[in-house]
Amino acid sequence: MKRRNFIKRTSLATGGLFLAPQFLKAFESNNPSVFNEKKVVIIQLKGGNDGLNTVVPFRNDLYYQNREQIAITKNSLLSLNDEVGFHPSLKPLKKLYDKGHVSIINNVGYPNPNRSHFRSTDIWQTASNSNEFLQTGWIGRYLDITKAKPYKAIEVDENLSLMLKGDLQNGLAITNPKLFYKLLKQPFFNGLLDNYSSDAHLNEHNLGYLYNTMIDAKSSAEYIYEKSKTKASTIDYPKNIFGKQLKTISEFITSGLETQVYYAALSGFDTHANQKNRQAKLLELYAESMEVFVNDLQKNNAFEDTLILTFSEFGRRVKQNGSNGTDHGTANNVFVIGKDLKKAGLYNSLPNLQNLDTNGDLKFSIDFREVYATILDKWLHIENSKVLNNKFSTLGFI
Amino acid sequence: MKTEHILHLYNRIGFGITPKELKKLTSRTRNEIISSLFFQSKDYTPLHIDTSFLSNLSKAQLKNKKKRKELIKLSRKKVKDLNNIWLNRIFNPNELLREKMTLFWANHFVCKDNNILHLLQYNNTLRKHALGSFSDFTKTISKEASMLKYLNNKQNKKNSPNENFARELMELFTLGQGNYTEKDIQESAKAFTGYNHDFKGDFKLREKHHDASEKSFLNKQGNFNGDDIIDIILSQKQCAKFISEKVYKYFVNDVVNEQHLNEMTTIFYPNYNIEKLLKHVFLSDWFYDENNIGNKIKSPIELLAGIHKTVPFSFNKKKQGILIQKLLGQILLSPPNVAGWKQGKGWIDSNTIVTRLRLPSVLLNNAEINYSEKGDFKDEIKNFNQKKLRKKAFIKTSTQWTVFERNYNLLKNEELVTHIITSPLSKNAENILKTYSTSSKKDYCIQILSLPEYQLC
Repeated sequence: MKRRNFIKRTSLATGGLFLAPQFLKAFESNNPSVFNEKKVVIIQLKGGNDGLNTVVPFRNDLYYQNREQIAITKNSLLSLNDEVGFHPSLKPLKKLYDKGHVSIINNVGYPNPNRSHFRSTDIWQTASNSNEFLQTGWIGRYLDITKAKPYKAIEVDENLSLMLKGDLQNGLAITNPKLFYKLLKQPFFNGLLDNYSSDAHLNEHNLGYLYNTMIDAKSSAEYIYEKSKTKASTIDYPKNIFGKQLKTISEFITSGLETQVYYAALSGFDTHANQKNRQAKLLELYAESMEVFVNDLQKNNAFEDTLILTFSEFGRRVKQNGSNGTDHGTANNVFVIGKDLKKAGLYNSLPNLQNLDTNGDLKFSIDFREVYATILDKWLHIENSKVLNNKFSTLGFI
Repeated sequence: MKTEHILHLYNRIGFGITPKELKKLTSRTRNEIISSLFFQSKDYTPLHIDTSFLSNLSKAQLKNKKKRKELIKLSRKKVKDLNNIWLNRIFNPNELLREKMTLFWANHFVCKDNNILHLLQYNNTLRKHALGSFSDFTKTISKEASMLKYLNNKQNKKNSPNENFARELMELFTLGQGNYTEKDIQESAKAFTGYNHDFKGDFKLREKHHDASEKSFLNKQGNFNGDDIIDIILSQKQCAKFISEKVYKYFVNDVVNEQHLNEMTTIFYPNYNIEKLLKHVFLSDWFYDENNIGNKIKSPIELLAGIHKTVPFSFNKKKQGILIQKLLGQILLSPPNVAGWKQGKGWIDSNTIVTRLRLPSVLLNNAEINYSEKGDFKDEIKNFNQKKLRKKAFIKTSTQWTVFERNYNLLKNEELVTHIITSPLSKNAENILKTYSTSSKKDYCIQILSLPEYQLC
């Protein structure tokens, strides 16, 4: 039987000659990418945060006319200048802002905006045009190009988003390195992978791909666990699901992991009804956690090498709806948090509330891929066109 | 027909075969087996779900905001029920090949909808046309309510055209990128203007929104309507090639053999008879070539159905059935976007591979599984502090080991391996199985199902 021949061939060919070296050594020696200590933390406010009630144009009458019930009164805002104020829940973020650590990029979007959560998230995650459907994420393509190991991009979750999936390489979803490590340490996985012989024939076979993916997973788990096990953050984070994600990321960063991209999310921003309380609570949760996170990084001298990007899949309609909420919109503000920003504060002018599209939504002025391009070119030092498929111009926030 | 060839055939056209079923086939020829395979899929059994909450609604009821909200909520719940109903159908099919093809088409004519009435109809359309004429199929799809909404063709009107459907029709459904111009998209979009549907989901052409002017499309001129456009597309041999290639990758190999593809294209063109195309594939010698056996990565649904074929099980909680699909990366009725799921290696990452290998223990042996409660767009805010980044769950299933024992009683442990796995085994996998060689058949079976080799078929 052919199968038997194959097995015989395999065992003969390996005969102890190709015993795999220890996992760690194996990929440290053939890792072709240059080590770059810069980190990017990407945060999605899922559901579509209402940007207009986050960064509020309190001198604009149109804002108050369109939002009779849900507008935020001038005197409760945290003013950034004599026209613009932060939502009152963003006090902790305001502190960072005052220190020059925040750049607010207004009116970020893309042509022909899509108002579905799924589709628009997809567009942001894959960096596609709105009429284009990509099956890899922009971070995944970054991993492809840098021939990175899975731990180069980490999502704090139990399964992996499209953003971190490439054609050849994928990132890693992990919430608890110890448990993931222990899981892969079980006798079954050891039995499968220890001294696994990388037979050339199998490498072309999909089976070789499966084994190699497992070896990568195992070595990544081992690497992350060994590096981070002694590091426990000494700072108290808010005890909610978002705080927990940031705490995990901080521990990874400060333990010196070579991971360059982290992805976390806070959900619940789909405020179609009774928006006021709900958004206030969510923004508070976001800002509190963010302040602790930045302080933690600072304490560990890691802030200057970390850039934090916060986006939402879309903003919300200028005019409020009948249920004291807002419906899906288009362009939105993006926050960039970092130590040595080239342009802190308001990066560009606020959206024009007069010149709206036929749905009554904002017309974007900065393409979100220009934000990505800036991070790729100036922070991760990789030509943005390689990742974004087209060349985008860069912005001046870093 | 050779045993290993029957195993291969049934892995690809279905989700495996039991030794008991296999025994009945070994004395029959390839021709006989394949003829009866198509014969068994001749009928069409639609899925059913109770949608009576959407019938006999008055205009006033539909205008009432509160009532509408309630209906939408109920409909979303029914979509989740449909996921479960479909999964059960895949687990227990009457028309095996038809169901396998339905799964194929669901990742070709990719669509998503929250309206249960329309979605059920859409899913049954996939099933009904799965083995028929690709021409009729495409025309029907272009008029399905769910598709009209999903790719915005409903908003495609004479005075404000929307090109979304026209573009994807050519890029993803028929020709593939680079085989048409932007002008072709604009012109064909005009032909699909005015397409709409009623509440029930029946197609309605709104004449006043339809652009009846002359169009110029793929070097032809005329007052084309949508069906004409589809006919012109199908007159291009490229369309037959595009579909044949997808079929080849689904049934035969990720790596396409040009010669085999040409054969298929010639068979498929110009009549676009899906059954004829498939028959050619399964009857050809190259389908049984050693390189084409045991080298395809199973989709998550194929993996679940394969385990079910060996050890029948059912999820006690529908929600957990969906959770498992999510962790594996394929939730039925919820594709990532209109391009569908990335297949083959696309199913595999560090997380899914670990989940896949643990799956038999989770489903059949009550091992725990972890998931995150990070939540999605529609999440309620109230319990953020209680939510956990990493949560353990035990998947409650009912397993029928007695059926397994009945079906597999004639096989020894070693024979079990060659029956269940068609991929070559790595040395390490062989060693693992050796250490289990004296275990009970049940334990041994779980070990086999947990191997990387079992991910392939």
